Amino acid sequence: MIKHHLHEEILMSYAAGNCSPSVSLIVASHITICSKCRNAVSIYEDIGGKVLNEASPVDVNTNTLDILLDKIDTDVSKKNTLAVNKIFKNIPVVLHKMLPEGNSLTDSWKKGLGGIKYFDINLADSNKNSHARMLSIPPGKKLPNHGHEAQELTLVLEGGFSDESGHYNAGDVAIEDENNIHTPIADSNEGCVCLVVYEGSLKFKGLFGPVLNLLKI
Amino acid sequence: MFLENYIETVDISSKLQAITYRQDKVFSVLKPAAKDKELTFLIGRIASFKDKTAFSELFKLVGPRIKGYLMKLGSSDVAAEDILQEVMLTVWRKSETFDRSKAAVSTWLFTIARNKRIDMLRKEIRPQLDPLDPMLSPNQEAAADDIYGSNQEAIKISKAIEQLPTDQAVLIKMTYYEDKSHSIIADELKMPLGTVKSRIRLASTRLRKLLEGKIYD
Repeated sequence: MIKHHLHEEILMSYAAGNCSPSVSLIVASHITICSKCRNAVSIYEDIGGKVLNEASPVDVNTNTLDILLDKIDTDVSKKNTLAVNKIFKNIPVVLHKMLPEGNSLTDSWKKGLGGIKYFDINLADSNKNSHARMLSIPPGKKLPNHGHEAQELTLVLEGGFSDESGHYNAGDVAIEDENNIHTPIADSNEGCVCLVVYEGSLKFKGLFGPVLNLLKI
Repeated sequence: MFLENYIETVDISSKLQAITYRQDKVFSVLKPAAKDKELTFLIGRIASFKDKTAFSELFKLVGPRIKGYLMKLGSSDVAAEDILQEVMLTVWRKSETFDRSKAAVSTWLFTIARNKRIDMLRKEIRPQLDPLDPMLSPNQEAAADDIYGSNQEAIKISKAIEQLPTDQAVLIKMTYYEDKSHSIIADELKMPLGTVKSRIRLASTRLRKLLEGKIYD
């Protein structure tokens, strides 16, 4: 049962097509698992459909239809199939496509401090300030408390974590805005695999803060 | 002008619709959008029989409006033609994925146009929900169609937006009609990003309720 959902304005900007690639990735992943947010997105897409319907028509070039008819003549229609051979069962296809192959999910991820593993997803984002990172946190591991320059969205995929604002299970999204400082702790039995998207850099506080800030983990 | 664009065969309700258009002075083109039923039929012909006559007919009905929509969002005439071609090729290739029970034709066309615009203009990766993902959670709530009931066709989005408080209507228009991200809106309106987000959250929630018929002004 998913308890923590994405905010309406994020779902709307996904539907309208003007959120960043990394936010788009986390929305697409969350709505694969969450039917409530998926329904909301479909309503916002209906709004887009209505906007399209109410746009004033503009004459198309006289030869456009002929060009199209030529193209479809030679078009080899592809069968509608799943985009990836799914290996990792708890990862939505849209996210799966972005991850390195391997026998287990975190095989080729980088090793961070304290048993944490991570993989940075390259989304060819024109806004270089926007990041998408997979994190695997060992059971019971506490992340250093940190703040954010901008919004941070975390989607739990396996296991779960807790922080000052509550507990997050698989499918839940944690939303941290700028000025929030939190200390996430992975669940003691399973640990936590999650997708984190954020803009700007994270600001770590506490004793090891300066070191962690340098390591950018 | 009004009569010029008028189709002899339209029924009385679209006649009334056309008159409403004129009285509103909102729409420069008075011809009502083609009926969903007709478009659904044509898409069905393309899906089942690869019917080129149906494709040509569909192109004539929706092409100019899609082009108008793209230009309204800022595409040049040339770019809009290119995107339109890609949209129509996708319609040809993916016609069998259109599911009347899940979305209106206008919504389906909107999502294709949205994705092609982003592909061609921004050259970014924009992760999308994979509708074939075996992880897809079952729908627990009524589909968008059921929520709107038979009213769906009749609701004019421009009218619904006008029912919002002005500051909220502006934000929705910037999202759908000008394709602006939250950070660009914040820059242009010289408002803090957090304020833009929370106002759009209010506006989108209210707009959804308006469309779901839960608010009567």
